[in-house]
Amino acid sequence: MADAIQKKLKVELEKYTQMQKDVSKSMSARQKLETQLTENNIVKEELDLLDSSNIVYKLIGPVLVKQELDEAKATVAKRLEYINGEIQRYETLLKDMEKKSEQHREVLSSLQQEFQKAQGLAIGKV
Amino acid sequence: MVPFGTLAFMPGKLVHTNEVTVLLGDNWFAKCSAKQAQKIVDHRMKYVKSELDNLSKTMKNFEARIGFAKDLETISASKGDYVDIREEVGNNDTSVTKGRQRIAHKPNSKPKMDAIFDLKEEDEENYTDNRDGGIKKGIMSEEELWARLDELEKLEELQDEQDRLSDNADVNGDDTSSSSSEEEKEGDAAPPINGLSLKPSWASVPHSKAPPNVNRKEEEDEEEGGDCLPTIFFSHTVEPKKVRINTGKNTTLKFSERKEQKEHSKRKKKNGHNNGHSHHELHKITTPADIYRLFVDVKNGEPIPRKSILKSRSRENSVCSDTSESSAADFDERRMIGRSFSHDEATHSDTSDGITEEDSPTSMPLHPTSRFEAFSGTVIEKDPMPSVVPHLTIAPPALPTILERKQEEVMPEVAPPQQAPKRVSKFKAARLQQK
Repeated sequence: MADAIQKKLKVELEKYTQMQKDVSKSMSARQKLETQLTENNIVKEELDLLDSSNIVYKLIGPVLVKQELDEAKATVAKRLEYINGEIQRYETLLKDMEKKSEQHREVLSSLQQEFQKAQGLAIGKV
Repeated sequence: MVPFGTLAFMPGKLVHTNEVTVLLGDNWFAKCSAKQAQKIVDHRMKYVKSELDNLSKTMKNFEARIGFAKDLETISASKGDYVDIREEVGNNDTSVTKGRQRIAHKPNSKPKMDAIFDLKEEDEENYTDNRDGGIKKGIMSEEELWARLDELEKLEELQDEQDRLSDNADVNGDDTSSSSSEEEKEGDAAPPINGLSLKPSWASVPHSKAPPNVNRKEEEDEEEGGDCLPTIFFSHTVEPKKVRINTGKNTTLKFSERKEQKEHSKRKKKNGHNNGHSHHELHKITTPADIYRLFVDVKNGEPIPRKSILKSRSRENSVCSDTSESSAADFDERRMIGRSFSHDEATHSDTSDGITEEDSPTSMPLHPTSRFEAFSGTVIEKDPMPSVVPHLTIAPPALPTILERKQEEVMPEVAPPQQAPKRVSKFKAARLQQK
């Protein structure tokens, strides 16, 4: 009895740890997106400040590619939208994962209690 | 020379130095003039600063929240800095002996004075202690003293009742028995006396303070109510009978005496203020037996019922038999305050008489004057105690009790010490007689 419970405990524990990892991953991804968002905002502002007198380059690997101001602006705008979308997606994902982890936690605690009881009984018997 | 790789240089020229390629962020560059570059840089800097400020604000907010939470915790859990200080005051009968119990002084009373008187009644040892205590008490505010008095009075009342019961038995007994009872009382009172001594001293103190005649009654009454001096009464002080009551006049009357004195004082009031003062406070005499109780000679700290109330001893602060016995010598010393002739209370035994007698001589000058007044009318049988009597210098044995009463008023306080030294001898004499 105690052994069975122990196994169950282990399984549940693993699941729970996995959940926790996923949660942390999504958290970090979201943070990245956050920074990119701010960055792109700044770029957008800078581009707005710029006029057509100067030339805009885009860094692709080790190459600086010439870009037009309008194109650059459009690109940056698109990127911004993309980033926002990504952030929202990650948000929802994070919530779901949180819920799942909570459920796992409860199961784990209950299993632990059972295990302790069983152990107590076993000790008593012994 | 322009670096050409890591190992070579190449000659080159800077062209269009005014053109600068500026990083806009996220891998975006823009070639612009120096001025524009400057603008961009400034712009960026502003942005960064604003971000920094925002973050610091949020940090502060969080810190404030933390502080609030901490305060809440301390307040709710440990109740902040407030600590509940509780001091359990145990009845320190034994400890009391050394130091006087704090006795609230009646506002009008003169604590210092009383202290001196109170001691007389009790043993000399107690006397010294009491004195110290009394003086200390004087420091207490009047209000405190009053409160103290009230407390003590209550306690004393309880004790008085007990004493009465016991005293009655004693009084009714023969001289020997009475004397023995007194002795016993004294013995019993030893521990409680400490507490009581404080009381009387305390009470005496207030007495002393107040004008002997005028306010005495009030004070005395109050004091007596609380068993001699209002003292911080501790449960340990169990003085069934031997309560030293400080009848206003610095005489620590024995507890039993107090009751008597109280009664006596009441009576005196009716008759006249003189003697009643000290008695009132100290003794509440409800029954004739109480009177006897009041007159208890304190022998070596033990209240010894006087056989004869009429003896001069009784004259002293009436109730306190101690005053008389204690000893003329002590009296003289203590005389400062003057004895309260609250001896109205019947002297329990000859010994007590002797004490009263002793007290009388030592009593203040007022004493003699009041003494010779026609006594209030309480005639108490007195067993002849020749050995004891010699002490009495003034009042004739028959009158002492009454005169003492009157004198109570006059004499602010009976000098307890006076009794102490005398008492011893008296009691001894009484015992001898009894034998």
